Amino acid sequence: MNTSLVDPFVLAQDYPESLTGQLKSGHSTCVRFNRKGDFLASGRADGTIVIWDMETSGVARKLRGHTRHVQSLSWSRDSRYLLSSSQDWKCVLWDLKDGAKMRTVRFEAPVYIAEMHPYNHHLFVASIFEDQPVLVDISAPVPVKRQLPSAPKRSRLDGEDISEKQAAQDAKQTTCITIFTALGDHIVAGTSKGWLNVIETGSCKIIYSTRICSNGFIILLRLTNSGRDMVANCSDRVIRTIHVTDLLQPSVNHDDIKLEVEHKFQDVVNRLSWNHVAFSATGEYVTASTYMNHDIYLWERGHGSLVKILEGPKEELGVVEWHPTRPFLVACGLVDGGIYLFTINTPQRWSALAPDFAEVEENVEYIEREDEFDIHPIEEIQKRRLDLEDEIVDVLSVQPTKTEFDEEAFRMPVLLDIVDSDSEEEIVAVGPGTMRRRSPGEGKEWMNGAQSIESGDERGMRRPAVANGSAAVPSRVRKR
Amino acid sequence: MERGRRYSKRRRLNGVEGSSRSDSGSPDELGASPPHQDRNGSICRYGTAEPRGRSYPNSMSDRDSPDELGNATPFYPELESEQDDHSEGNSPQRSSRSSTTTPIDTPTDTPKETTPIPSPRKIQYAPYAQKMVLKGHRRGVAFSARIWDTNSGKCLHVLEGHLAGISTLAWSPDSRTIASGSDDKSIRLWDVATGKSYPHPLRGHHNYVSTIAFSPKGNMLVSGSYDEAVFLWDIRTGRIMRSLPAHSDPVGGVDFIRDGTLIVSCAGDGLIRIWDTMTGQCLRTLVHEDNAPVQSVRFSPNGRYVLAWTLDGCVRLWDYVEGRCVKTYQGHANEKYGLSGAFGIYGDVGRERERPGGIVKAYVVSGSEDGGILWWDVVSKEVLQRIDGHEGAVLGVDTWEGEHGLVVSCGLDKTVRIWERTEQAAEPSDGDHQPNGTGSFE
Repeated sequence: MNTSLVDPFVLAQDYPESLTGQLKSGHSTCVRFNRKGDFLASGRADGTIVIWDMETSGVARKLRGHTRHVQSLSWSRDSRYLLSSSQDWKCVLWDLKDGAKMRTVRFEAPVYIAEMHPYNHHLFVASIFEDQPVLVDISAPVPVKRQLPSAPKRSRLDGEDISEKQAAQDAKQTTCITIFTALGDHIVAGTSKGWLNVIETGSCKIIYSTRICSNGFIILLRLTNSGRDMVANCSDRVIRTIHVTDLLQPSVNHDDIKLEVEHKFQDVVNRLSWNHVAFSATGEYVTASTYMNHDIYLWERGHGSLVKILEGPKEELGVVEWHPTRPFLVACGLVDGGIYLFTINTPQRWSALAPDFAEVEENVEYIEREDEFDIHPIEEIQKRRLDLEDEIVDVLSVQPTKTEFDEEAFRMPVLLDIVDSDSEEEIVAVGPGTMRRRSPGEGKEWMNGAQSIESGDERGMRRPAVANGSAAVPSRVRKR
Repeated sequence: MERGRRYSKRRRLNGVEGSSRSDSGSPDELGASPPHQDRNGSICRYGTAEPRGRSYPNSMSDRDSPDELGNATPFYPELESEQDDHSEGNSPQRSSRSSTTTPIDTPTDTPKETTPIPSPRKIQYAPYAQKMVLKGHRRGVAFSARIWDTNSGKCLHVLEGHLAGISTLAWSPDSRTIASGSDDKSIRLWDVATGKSYPHPLRGHHNYVSTIAFSPKGNMLVSGSYDEAVFLWDIRTGRIMRSLPAHSDPVGGVDFIRDGTLIVSCAGDGLIRIWDTMTGQCLRTLVHEDNAPVQSVRFSPNGRYVLAWTLDGCVRLWDYVEGRCVKTYQGHANEKYGLSGAFGIYGDVGRERERPGGIVKAYVVSGSEDGGILWWDVVSKEVLQRIDGHEGAVLGVDTWEGEHGLVVSCGLDKTVRIWERTEQAAEPSDGDHQPNGTGSFE
């Protein structure tokens, strides 16, 4: 509800500008925002999952259960359940109401990525290291796994031409990534030979295949929030955006599906490869972290042009994730495992602190109104003022806004247990078995930086006219 | 500066509110029942500023205050008799449930038979009548707050742990936690179920904590203090997330908007400031020409307006986007104490099934320093009802829209009184009442 007061120029800015903060709890390997964007789940190298509250930048909950590197995270629609996959060959479904493990599914190999069905938290799809992907139903305590095919479906025209060799090659393909489409009716899978397979969730059959990358495998697929577009990161150093609107039609004819590459983003000069890709909140921008480099690239999708290279911290960045509503980007460092936050720096408008003043571009000559300094009896002024208050005000009805969600059925409980909410970096070992809390602010230099900005504001507030006296015009009308 | 001092002595029992304070995070639930309604509806809490013998230098009001008999004296023998009320104060309330208008306490406490307001419109205002009196707060005994069961009138827990008087209380949105701000400069969190304090109080303010409010999600707490700053706390870790260099006088009131993106604060310097929770920046400052000290502030249930109590005897409704005052409510006395009140609804509340398309209107309720409680219609600014509820100033009033629509008030007479909507006005017969211009009944 603050949008009506925020500077419209700030609101118009729709991508982050600079590195503004850091969250640190262990070595983070992957991060994921929930649908509302108020919580960020981060998986750590030691297997712990940390849920960050983005409002407080503090730890809301910790989930312990994995023993190795967390590979991927996936939120349910109502943000109550979280699915994690790990290099310990397990996938776990967590209930964030009490932090308990609801289901644990074991596989025969490490899991690349496990993705939850958008509407059914008891169904997920997992792509497995050197194996066929599986669709897992965990509505019962014993999981039901159904294997999904990887060999692409050749269209019927050249169907006769499938040679033995080709068939043998197809059989060798493995799936690197599987994701659900926005409605969950289909699964899009990317294979090690650069094919995109569209699999029907109900029948587990490939209904469409296309090869988007001829010499490389598909590393990652991501959807926009609307589910209309998909971005694919391939090992040929090209990022492709693909329209997937065909898959959102309720009754799509299998033969009519056509997935077309819209844009290709690459760095032709440096031949950079990309660690991880993400869409912006609206899908207007595509962002990628770079391999052996500290920067984050931002492309705009309308024209397909590079708009910004965000200078990162002193380490290579892995997973990037865009906040679902705001121009706010999060990236994981690969060396230290810190979570870096990229946002917009908004300067304090000093006129907000002093209602008598307005910020103007240049000096304006003030023209006094005819009755401006007329003297009226105070009672008369007050009576007139009270009589003017005849409008109808509505203090009850709520106007729904874009960022609010009706289905606010689940609210994560706020834990007041200090151990659960400690980001652990703040515990310092003093001696054997004895710990002490780090003094406030220590190791949080970025917060101190923010503090110093605020104290600058304070100075500006106390003397608003001096803060920017050159172009100040009193806008308040004196009635006496 | 003169003015800045005079109001500074105040007993701010902000938010004596039953539960709706806890709902204030999502005030849109005034009409719709919140999911934790049972909890809310049955528990009411009240903080005492018990031996507040504090006096501020140059404080004129200290002497004439009925409450400041002995400055900094921990115990008041002349008031000892009050303690006797403690035991019997709890019991007689049960009988009160049978008839809502029957006086339970002394006859002076009861409102006279309240007549419904003549209303040519369809909307009927059902006047409130006393439901029960909660006694038990004693002076000079402990710095405690109490949790009450609003159905039985029993005191469930006494929250003891603060080293000085408690000025302000807030329910967390899930009604499991109570936060209390005290003159010992700390804020404590209490478990409602056990009545125990969490081990780490929130420390950081350099002076008395005067006002606190929970964020709608319950993950943050905003506090205002006599040190003129507004702090934003991460209550999970007890860490100060932000300190807002808010005001140049003691902060009187703070509140969160229903979606938690804005904070409002007000202070004795006469300013009401709207802050962005995320960035900590001031987005708007509201100031009235007279610059009267603002002692309490609240967002409207839908978050479009801000309601502020000032020491010039006015309650003002501000459109904070346009930065102007849209309504002024008058009729109560407010010169000295930081009073607080609340929004509530009347009309076809809870009768959606019987009357589809029924109109629900909003009222503002506030205490008064002459012992009255006043209800105003938000739009027409008319006084809907006036009850002489307490002996001495009524410091805090809050509402809860449950089955009967409860209003709870506390005052300098050390009682908490619960008022409930009388049912006879639900279906008023038009012949019964005489037209009355002011609409106030005594």
